[in-house]
Amino acid sequence: MRLTRKSPTPSEPGLGISRRQFLQRSAATTGGLAAAGFMGNTMMRRADAKEKTLVSTAPIEIKRTVCSHCSVGCGTYAEVQEGVWTGQEPAFDHPVNRGAHCAKGASLREHGHSTRRLKYPMKLEGGQWKRLSWEQAIEEVGDKVLQLRDKYGPDSVYWLGSAKFSNEQAYLMRKFAAMFGTNNTDHQARICHSTTVAGVANTWGYGAMTNSLNDMHNSKSILFIGSNPTEAHPIAMQHILIAKERGANIIVVDPRFTRTAAKADKFVRLRPGSDVAYIWGLLWHIFDNGWEDKEYIDNRVYGMDKVREEVAAFPPEVVESVTGVSKEDMYDVAKRLADNRPGCVVWCMGGTQHTTGNNNTRAYCILELALGNIGVSGGGANIFRGHDNVQGATDLGLMSHSLPGYYGLSEGAWQHWGEIWGLDQEWLKSRFDQTEYADGKPMYANGITVSRWIDGVLEKEENIAQRSSLKGMFYWGHAVNSQTRGVEMQKAMGQLELMVIVDPYPTVAAVMHDRSDGVYLLPAATQFETTGSVTNTSRSLQWRDKVIEPQFEALPDHEIMYLLAKKLGFAEQMFKNIQVNGNEPLVEDITREFNKGMWTVGYTGQSPERLKMHQQNWHTFSFETLQAESGPIKGEYYGLPWPCWGNPEMAHPGTPLLYDMSKPVKEGGLTFRARFGVERDGESLLADGVFSKDSDLNDGYPEFTAEMLKQLGWWEELTDEEKTAAEGKNWKTDLSGGIQRVVIDHGCAPFGNAKARCEVWTFPDPIPKHREPLYTPRRDLVKEYPTWEDMQSFYRLPTLYRSIQEEDFSERYPLTLTSGRLVEYEGGGEETRSMSWLAELQQEMFVEINPEMAKELGIANDDMVWVEGAEQGRVRVKAMVTPRVGRDVVFMPFHFGGMFQGKSLHDRYPEGSAPYVLGESANTATTYGYDSVTQMQETKVTLCRIEKATA
Amino acid sequence: MTSVLTPLLWYRRLLGLALMLLLTCVFATSTLAADPEAEIKQAIGGASQETWQDIGSTDDYIDTRADSSYNLINASGETWRQIRNTWVSPGGAIAIVGVLAILIVFYLVVGTKTLDEPRTGRLILRWTALERALHWTLATLFILLALTGLNLLFGKFVFRPLFGDGFWAPMIAGTKFVHNYLGPLFGIVLITMLAKWLTINLPKKHDLTWFKQGGGIVGKAHPPAGFANGGEKGWYWLLASVGLVVVVTGLVMDFPIFGQSRDTMQWMNVIHAVGSLGLMAVALGHIYIGTLGMEGAFDAMKSGYVDETWAKQHHSLWYEEVMNKADTAPQEKAVDDATAKAHRPN
Amino acid sequence: MTKMKFVCDAERCIECNGCVTACKNANETDWGIQRRRLVTIDDGQPTEVSISVACMHCDDAPCMAVCPTDCFYKTDDGIVLHDKDLCIGCGYCLYACPFGAPQFPKQSAFGERGKMDKCTYCAGGPADTKEEEYEKYGANRIAEGKLPLCAEMCATKALMAGPTDALTDIFRERMEKRGQSLAAWEPMQDDQSRETAATLNLDRMAYDASRQA
Repeated sequence: MRLTRKSPTPSEPGLGISRRQFLQRSAATTGGLAAAGFMGNTMMRRADAKEKTLVSTAPIEIKRTVCSHCSVGCGTYAEVQEGVWTGQEPAFDHPVNRGAHCAKGASLREHGHSTRRLKYPMKLEGGQWKRLSWEQAIEEVGDKVLQLRDKYGPDSVYWLGSAKFSNEQAYLMRKFAAMFGTNNTDHQARICHSTTVAGVANTWGYGAMTNSLNDMHNSKSILFIGSNPTEAHPIAMQHILIAKERGANIIVVDPRFTRTAAKADKFVRLRPGSDVAYIWGLLWHIFDNGWEDKEYIDNRVYGMDKVREEVAAFPPEVVESVTGVSKEDMYDVAKRLADNRPGCVVWCMGGTQHTTGNNNTRAYCILELALGNIGVSGGGANIFRGHDNVQGATDLGLMSHSLPGYYGLSEGAWQHWGEIWGLDQEWLKSRFDQTEYADGKPMYANGITVSRWIDGVLEKEENIAQRSSLKGMFYWGHAVNSQTRGVEMQKAMGQLELMVIVDPYPTVAAVMHDRSDGVYLLPAATQFETTGSVTNTSRSLQWRDKVIEPQFEALPDHEIMYLLAKKLGFAEQMFKNIQVNGNEPLVEDITREFNKGMWTVGYTGQSPERLKMHQQNWHTFSFETLQAESGPIKGEYYGLPWPCWGNPEMAHPGTPLLYDMSKPVKEGGLTFRARFGVERDGESLLADGVFSKDSDLNDGYPEFTAEMLKQLGWWEELTDEEKTAAEGKNWKTDLSGGIQRVVIDHGCAPFGNAKARCEVWTFPDPIPKHREPLYTPRRDLVKEYPTWEDMQSFYRLPTLYRSIQEEDFSERYPLTLTSGRLVEYEGGGEETRSMSWLAELQQEMFVEINPEMAKELGIANDDMVWVEGAEQGRVRVKAMVTPRVGRDVVFMPFHFGGMFQGKSLHDRYPEGSAPYVLGESANTATTYGYDSVTQMQETKVTLCRIEKATA
Repeated sequence: MTSVLTPLLWYRRLLGLALMLLLTCVFATSTLAADPEAEIKQAIGGASQETWQDIGSTDDYIDTRADSSYNLINASGETWRQIRNTWVSPGGAIAIVGVLAILIVFYLVVGTKTLDEPRTGRLILRWTALERALHWTLATLFILLALTGLNLLFGKFVFRPLFGDGFWAPMIAGTKFVHNYLGPLFGIVLITMLAKWLTINLPKKHDLTWFKQGGGIVGKAHPPAGFANGGEKGWYWLLASVGLVVVVTGLVMDFPIFGQSRDTMQWMNVIHAVGSLGLMAVALGHIYIGTLGMEGAFDAMKSGYVDETWAKQHHSLWYEEVMNKADTAPQEKAVDDATAKAHRPN
Repeated sequence: MTKMKFVCDAERCIECNGCVTACKNANETDWGIQRRRLVTIDDGQPTEVSISVACMHCDDAPCMAVCPTDCFYKTDDGIVLHDKDLCIGCGYCLYACPFGAPQFPKQSAFGERGKMDKCTYCAGGPADTKEEEYEKYGANRIAEGKLPLCAEMCATKALMAGPTDALTDIFRERMEKRGQSLAAWEPMQDDQSRETAATLNLDRMAYDASRQA
């Protein structure tokens, strides 16, 4: 979606490609002029020649790679000649995208040609960027980090990683932080789907999309709530439109009439932040008409009665008042969902990025459970993840609250991973600050989250549950402009002692601070310049070939990690099991290492060899089921979607649909996970009389331990070696995989067979509740639906709720501000705005305003306006008057950066590396607000005011 | 006096070219008319009937393209093409060739209009050097623009098949260059000339008589005329109207930097073509009279002087007034130049 | 010979601009030149429709008819191409084109526009060498047995390219499946390729075409 008016030339030509473009443009200009026109055209042709990729007759190497822009995981063929990426051909045989690409995927080749990269290590010295050698850069950065560690302890340095890492790099980064002695590491999943992972995993076991994109072909109804795949996951739309053509009912519930809504059978406009009330409103009609799947609930769901009680408080008139949706529309949607089963629900940031995110995600799950849609083909909670590897980076634990595989931070978890790493526990402990703070010992306490590093810097030291505030920040593949509270962020950056940006592009972090010293830029390679595995939204792992060598002086992330680890003195421990060639750790060895420990989520069967086999046999997989129909891996599912149980030798085919009991576990079937104990208040939490196909246990059962195996008489089926390894262990900690192998042989799921739960007794709201946003325009609802009390120490930081909601901002800031994506850009947009093919399509930052409101404010289309958030962050953007948004809601895309409160930061970029398109960051105007379980930031509801900008 | 042969040769060439153009035009336009509606419909499937209507007419749209001043469906493009290719091109060719044919027939039947009486040898200044310079500059520009214009319209049917792309490419590029750069110059010269000759071309009652008697082209009658006769005045006012329209439409097309829409350009093009082709046809008549058609006319614009006899026969009123005002007795010149210049009754 | 066409299925087009950048990828046109573009009608309203538009390679192409230099020609496949050596940048093709396909590097005084650029159906154009062809016109995928990259990469298989009959059959099948009226759509006629059409599957067409290479 875009504004109509655009510049006919790239803006602000700097160095690099712009100069070339300038030359080439002027060549074209003179070519058209009298002389050349008169004398024929040969002159012009010559002058033009330099611009395009040279035509080469050198042999073509074909590389198979995967788009790095979103989690759909589209495959593509890259044609390389003499090291130059000269062609991109659609992979029609790829089972996910069948050759299809959106604007970003179709321009992947420009990654091999973009010159607006960060080209060599640099540091900011006296306000000037100075070029460094890698040795010098590592030396200086390393010394500074060691100095900070000595002075303030290991928790003073924050390791902000990335969802753009490969699985191997993400895992290595988490391990790196552990070796450094801190849990202050995180990545974008925190501000993406953390509330989903927490909410969904706590409902039925795993926090991931339950079905595959391809399986959506079988859906009879698809409810999109807070999701806009046409812009955020365009290739998913291929599957969704196939479903639609097969008769599926497409329902879009959103504050905006999105491009997805244009393809829907039914669109419902929702007030931002009222998702729980909306879902309860649907359930009210479902329960009222007896449309719920009673048998399914009886057998597989715990706590639905408590939901009924809560839902009873949301009759149609209450729902209309809270959500703005009429009784008729509520009934209509409820009936569509009830009549068209199996159906799936799809949600994205519109559901997750709220203070109440965990409530929202659980409410969606409960709706699906009530309809009996989970664990069946065509049903499911199809949560589309964001970045290409945000699922993988989450699974591999690049988070402040867990080690890889969701093992958590308990002593047991450290022992498990310490064993795999081959390290002495005492050494590991010695790396950490062993003092006890408000949250406990830092080694076992959740670290500060990416959403809150700002407060980790700015908060008074005595309020932070660690030795000091944050002093050094590594932004390792992170777009700071995708985070809220831009104004305070700038302040925090000013207070740091060290800023290190490791990225293929300088990113907004390099320019938005007001510093003149203490900033380092280290150029990282893109995912096309290295190799490794990547997990897509439907849990399939895909192997990427290295397409080209790292451009300029960039190095792959894992190599930079090695260099730093060496400097910081723990390379020997960190790379104990990993071969290092020169300075580059062997990617396959990293895969093999995490294969050894990721039992919980079944990342154990996906050896590099198997993944490469899948990569080479794209054409054998079915577009409908993702199962290989022929070839060497016949019967396996594409990308071995986790859980892929046991070790690689067991050859588990992967699990295409989670909790699908119609298949044996051996063939990808599954039950709900027994994760929350066996009983609650005297009621069993285990499944009631249902089990997966061919199961030897014909009822619910808890998760498997060595003890259970013995009781069942299955112990003897283990080999002697396995027995030794499995003794006293369970399915998660038995490093031999024997327990998993044996129980799967018996048709059982290693993690047990339980009910999904509607009540999460460990969460602030065990049954999801509607709570008004912190910055709400509906003061009348605050009393009845108040937010939580402030928290003293939560992920090491005080977190505010009530004290913000108490104050009424709606008078001065009457408009609701929400944000979202554009198809041309991704995330903070630094990379995509540096691609001329994409940048040309979307040249200006804008705010969508409803025509009625625009008229009221005296604003015309294309006027420049100031949008001021409730915390006084101001952005100067172009008005786009459109009925997409409702009367009182305004929308801004969040991909822009490089302008700050009306001021261009162009000149602060290292020469020649500024993106083609700069613009105000929407998040300069967004405000405080964090989820009560995961510290997810609130980006979807806040308050703002808009006024016409003069001049 | 110039040789009669040269213009004759020139005429023959022009005639041949015009006939060829006419023929190719007839062939070119005999192909089937396009159906843009059908192209659009087959190109975009899955749209409802209402969308179809919208696609052709709506202004409520968003475009990804940097320069999106062109709406999705250019409904008028095909109309323009039909007007241009079916009517304007052949029409223009017919007009030009038709006028040429008429002139040839006229010439063969009537011949050169000679002077009734012998020349006295005494001359009168008719056109000053500046005026002649203006005339010939304008004439040269006119001919260049006419030829390049005709080349833009018909050249592809003639020169490309005749000489091949190696010749055609620079020729047509040069054509466009000449046409686009000389066009504005033509406008400036035209306006200067129109201003210069405004007073002598103001219409008078006796012009009606002149027209009633057909300017005396046929027969022996010599309707009275001032400095400029009815025919000259007609030509003047044609240039002052159609000529200016052609200039203005040309400028609109030549400077596409003010956001002109496609529709504007189409209309400008049609008006420009009709106007200029019409002017060319009339110009042929003007050229005929000024050269072959009338004895002594060419001299006037060549040397600036006309013979007394000629002046008397064709511009009696002017002749009388000038002679009355003359101070000196006629010698070599019938009237001194200053008087001739000062008295131009219309 | 069979006639090649584009069809954009408005029911499927999601305005993702994949075709636009695919075209850039294949042809590397200058900043500002988008041979293919996306147009959205009734934005933000229930009647919203997005359509991908480029040169449609008309049967009776108006651009060809009005070009003063006669720089256009039609290949045996029905692809309308033009010779940039002949183009004088007069703009007539743009005035005539129903789809706004022709674009010029600039628009300046004295009608200086540079050489017209438009979609070539990824069939290149007249040139002596491959290098020259790529520089002037972009890719020649047709010569390699491939279809235009925009259609091959379309996110939802909304934009299709291929022989008219194959497209007609695919499209008729889709419309019937959706229960849509065929009245609004005018199927294309091209008798020569009828036998190949039946064998082509809905979405694998582009795949097949590329495999034939």
